[in-house]
Amino acid sequence: MNRRRVVVTGIGMISPVGLSASECWSALLAGRAAGAPIPAEWSRYTVTTSKIWAALPPINWEAMGISRIEQMQLDVSGMLTILATQEALQDAGIGTSVVDAKKHTFRLEGPEPNRCGVFMGTGVGGVSSCLGNFTNHSFTAVRHAIADQSLLPPMPPRFNPYAVPAMMPNAMSALPGIRWSLRGPNLTFAQACAAGTVAVGHAFRSIASGEVDLALAGGAEYVGDPYGGMFRGFDAARTLAAGADWATANRPFDRDRTGFLLAEGGAGVLVCEEAESAQRRGARAYAEIAGYAENFDGYSIMMMDPSGTRIADMIVAAVQDAGCTPGDIDYINAHGTGTALNDEIESAVIERLFGAKPIVNATKSLTGHCIGGSGGIEAAVTALSLAHQSTHACHNLENPIRDLRFVREAGPCRIDTAITQSFAFGGHNAAVVMKKVG
Amino acid sequence: MADADISKRVEKTIVEVLKVDPSALGGDQRIREDLGADSLDSVTLVMALEDEFGGSISDTDAKSLATVGDIIAFIGRSVQEKALA
Repeated sequence: MNRRRVVVTGIGMISPVGLSASECWSALLAGRAAGAPIPAEWSRYTVTTSKIWAALPPINWEAMGISRIEQMQLDVSGMLTILATQEALQDAGIGTSVVDAKKHTFRLEGPEPNRCGVFMGTGVGGVSSCLGNFTNHSFTAVRHAIADQSLLPPMPPRFNPYAVPAMMPNAMSALPGIRWSLRGPNLTFAQACAAGTVAVGHAFRSIASGEVDLALAGGAEYVGDPYGGMFRGFDAARTLAAGADWATANRPFDRDRTGFLLAEGGAGVLVCEEAESAQRRGARAYAEIAGYAENFDGYSIMMMDPSGTRIADMIVAAVQDAGCTPGDIDYINAHGTGTALNDEIESAVIERLFGAKPIVNATKSLTGHCIGGSGGIEAAVTALSLAHQSTHACHNLENPIRDLRFVREAGPCRIDTAITQSFAFGGHNAAVVMKKVG
Repeated sequence: MADADISKRVEKTIVEVLKVDPSALGGDQRIREDLGADSLDSVTLVMALEDEFGGSISDTDAKSLATVGDIIAFIGRSVQEKALA
């Protein structure tokens, strides 16, 4: 069977730079970066080396479609997934009808539910709910014995009966599957910072092979627990941007980079469809997903293989999977975290495979690092760059570490073929190749 | 807090969780049999009541709340005893 073509017909995005795809895209093009000091109350628990992160804008959940009851039942990561999915479906022009008002479930108008899949990525799932419930669990029995109640850590008022579904990583794909009655394959990928890219790749393969006709694909993350516990984890791993000035500290591919700016959370979701059926229903296509590859370093749980060999293998495989050669690539949405070693290895691999022909940018230079949400967000940015034939700059890039064609100013550019690539703790490497439509 | 306020807030919470017709709510209606709550809905309703009135409702108390009237009476007593806000 010939491989079927796959197009992106809807985009939903939430990140520290905006609460919708259009807000995020405008902020990226305008170079409006996110950043803030970490919450002061975290210093109760420890003094971290890094003191900055990229907080999400305030979210009015109820106004965006998440009821008070759902807010009690779901982790923030799950709510971000639902909101980005909701936006992507609306953007794709797919109507919905109510199935069950009590359960807040819908059916898509058009696609056959059993031939619709959900492929989502996340690094740590509902870790914030897990930590909150664990704190409640640990302190409830002893709290009355503590004379100074102000010493107690903040905790939810109850041990939540929904603690397990809130914390389980597979809620990321299960929640959209339930909410929109999608009953084909439903998979959550947990390849840390590459999870969203892996999810988009597997959605592409599922549609291309004929397994499904439509897939929701992307990733979500929320690491903003009230104790700064997750922040401390990344800080202790010596991965985070140093200094107190968040506005200048996040500088991927710059000689003065010191680490990545951790994002509080984010989600990027694509509606992917088989090209002919999308065309039949008159859908607008942002881009075609043309190729995918993934592999594994097999080197270290926290460090990229300095040789970059498997990353290079993976990128070549993704490009070949799209029927292209490296010379065809016009735009690289790099992993670009801003850590010393990652940027060094990634830029060396880019130079070796592509030379200085393609333009290169790092979305994380503006959004911060959304961990499992970043692959979905960056796939969305890649699709938008192809659709609009313009892309954003590498924020704060003043002295590039290598002589590549980094985007220094947002603006129009000719992009026929693009690649978005991600590398993860653990050693997972993945890339998606997209092409301009029409 | 006046009894009428408590009734109104309990009924609002029940409607919010169970998505039932507010005009059809009556004190002797049974949460499970008449209003169609399954076990998950019952757990959610207790959470929502705790959120609405503050404080916590024990499992033993929660199990004794069979009808709309039971809930209103229980919340009324708890508010008076300052167990709930």
